[in-house]
Amino acid sequence: MIYEEPKYLPGGDRYMLIEFGDEMNLELNFMGQSLAQAVEENGVEGVIETAPCFASTLIHYEPEEIKFSDLKSEMRSLIETLGPSEDIELDSRLFYFPAVYLDPWTKEAIEDYCAKITEKEWDPEFIARLNGLDGVEQFVRVHSGTEYWVASLGFWPGLPFMMALDPRCMLTAPKYNPPRTWTPEGTVGMGGASTCIYPVATPGGYQIFGRTPVPIWDTQKRFPQFESSICLFKPGDRVKFVPCAIEEYEQVAAQVAEGSYQYNLVEYQRFSVKNYKTWVESLDTGARF
Amino acid sequence: MLEVIEPGLETSVQDWPGRLGYWNQGFPPSGPMDSWSFRLANVLVGNEPGAAGLEAQYIGPSLKFRRDGLIAVTGADMQAKLDGTAIPMWESVAVKADQTLQMAFAKTGARGYIAIAGGIATEPWLGSRSTFHKAGVGGMEGHALKKGQIVPVGEGHGQAGHKVAETARPTFPTDKRWEIEVVAGPNDDWIDEAGHKRFLGSDWKLSSKSDRTGFRLDGPDWTFTAKATDKAPEHGSEPSNIIDQGYPCGAINLAGQTPIILVNDGPSMGGFVNPYTVPRAAFWKLGQSKPGEIYRFKAVSVEQAQAMAHELRQVCSEASIAK
Repeated sequence: MIYEEPKYLPGGDRYMLIEFGDEMNLELNFMGQSLAQAVEENGVEGVIETAPCFASTLIHYEPEEIKFSDLKSEMRSLIETLGPSEDIELDSRLFYFPAVYLDPWTKEAIEDYCAKITEKEWDPEFIARLNGLDGVEQFVRVHSGTEYWVASLGFWPGLPFMMALDPRCMLTAPKYNPPRTWTPEGTVGMGGASTCIYPVATPGGYQIFGRTPVPIWDTQKRFPQFESSICLFKPGDRVKFVPCAIEEYEQVAAQVAEGSYQYNLVEYQRFSVKNYKTWVESLDTGARF
Repeated sequence: MLEVIEPGLETSVQDWPGRLGYWNQGFPPSGPMDSWSFRLANVLVGNEPGAAGLEAQYIGPSLKFRRDGLIAVTGADMQAKLDGTAIPMWESVAVKADQTLQMAFAKTGARGYIAIAGGIATEPWLGSRSTFHKAGVGGMEGHALKKGQIVPVGEGHGQAGHKVAETARPTFPTDKRWEIEVVAGPNDDWIDEAGHKRFLGSDWKLSSKSDRTGFRLDGPDWTFTAKATDKAPEHGSEPSNIIDQGYPCGAINLAGQTPIILVNDGPSMGGFVNPYTVPRAAFWKLGQSKPGEIYRFKAVSVEQAQAMAHELRQVCSEASIAK
């Protein structure tokens, strides 16, 4: 649900987590993003940085400059000025990402986890079973059957937290217990109802089942998409995974290595929350592909 | 300029408070784990407390100076010698061109700090010189120092013989047990009363699977409130799973049943609950403890944690220097 009154939760001596609700939807994500934007535009004294995510905004502040209680009232008045998300329309880039589903690389990482940390079911089978799907083939169809909304960046530089825009493709899964100590670069994974791409080899807690050769961050700025930022994505982008074979993966990886890869994206679309909601209401959300 | 004769185990360029302003893209602050020792080393040599210096982990480096200068060594005792002669810690020491600073393993503590008058003058990256090893950015070519590298140094103006007052130095326990302050939250209401009591009343052993991204702790299992078990499926079904959220630096992140303290190079977001957060004034204790050592956690309020940070800021200043 979306809370009547957001929760203002302390994080040590210099953080405040503002939680707007306890579910995942576009409206909550817009509340988080809009507050972060309002903080930036208004230049609230004592605020160092913010980190909005699916249903919350983390505020990093300097208590020598603003007290927790004063920050709370400042944030409360900013939240009151935020308009309804219904009216939001924004430019939204759509990226097509080739991805090998059920790939050998993530399988190897899972086998290594099973050998060194604890036994677990192969992640795609596990997700398929938990979500009542026929098997891993249907899982691939469902997971790749929707556009994903980039709700925020975090965890690791450039990593996108994404949600399925088509409710018929929404899947859920628990996170690893305990987390993996390594994940291959470019891995596609999911935890809760969130899907991500791991920018580099890092530890991780999501279930993993695919790999893309397309870089999502680039400190060398070798591709024009990284001119203004070393992170490819920004909130409000969309991603569509295009299942591909290992041969195609390797072909793209070679193009990336030599710098000739061209990002496959469209930049002419505007995303309207109102139109999106109307579309969602017209669907039989119990259906699966 | 400095020449790296031996890099030590993991010696890196850091500044304080590090790389701020990029948490919403996933960039951590990095910076020294024990900013108390780090800041005082800088103050000793006449630098700003946050100027770029070196952090050495477990085993210190050997460095040859290319010109006359002024250094200070603080933090873990890595048995610093200048051309074979022991030099005092917590004191500014003049060095001559071609002299070599040699450091060995940490006898007490885990991280040693070396400040040099003028500060390390590598190219800042996103506003900071701090090294973020795992992503290969900042510092010297993105990583810990390597043998043969030449580290650039700025122009300094400090004086030799300045000392940090005994009372202004951090003291490391001799029994390998640390009391670490924590503030409840942001997700403390996911843990039941028994779980809170167990967390605050048990010994937690620092795991060897720890690094600058996170400190893993071994200890008893956690128990949860209904909030953790009766929730929307998009959280993920394990009790510690929550819809991905921003993480405070210092959060005690409950990944399944394993608590991981998210430290200077840690993740900015994720989908596990953070029942407690270590305030920044207690970070130096994390930085100076070694795997196998024991933590006991002590709950303090937000205001107490803020007062600790304020006090530490006073300590890390000229006021603590005897001339």
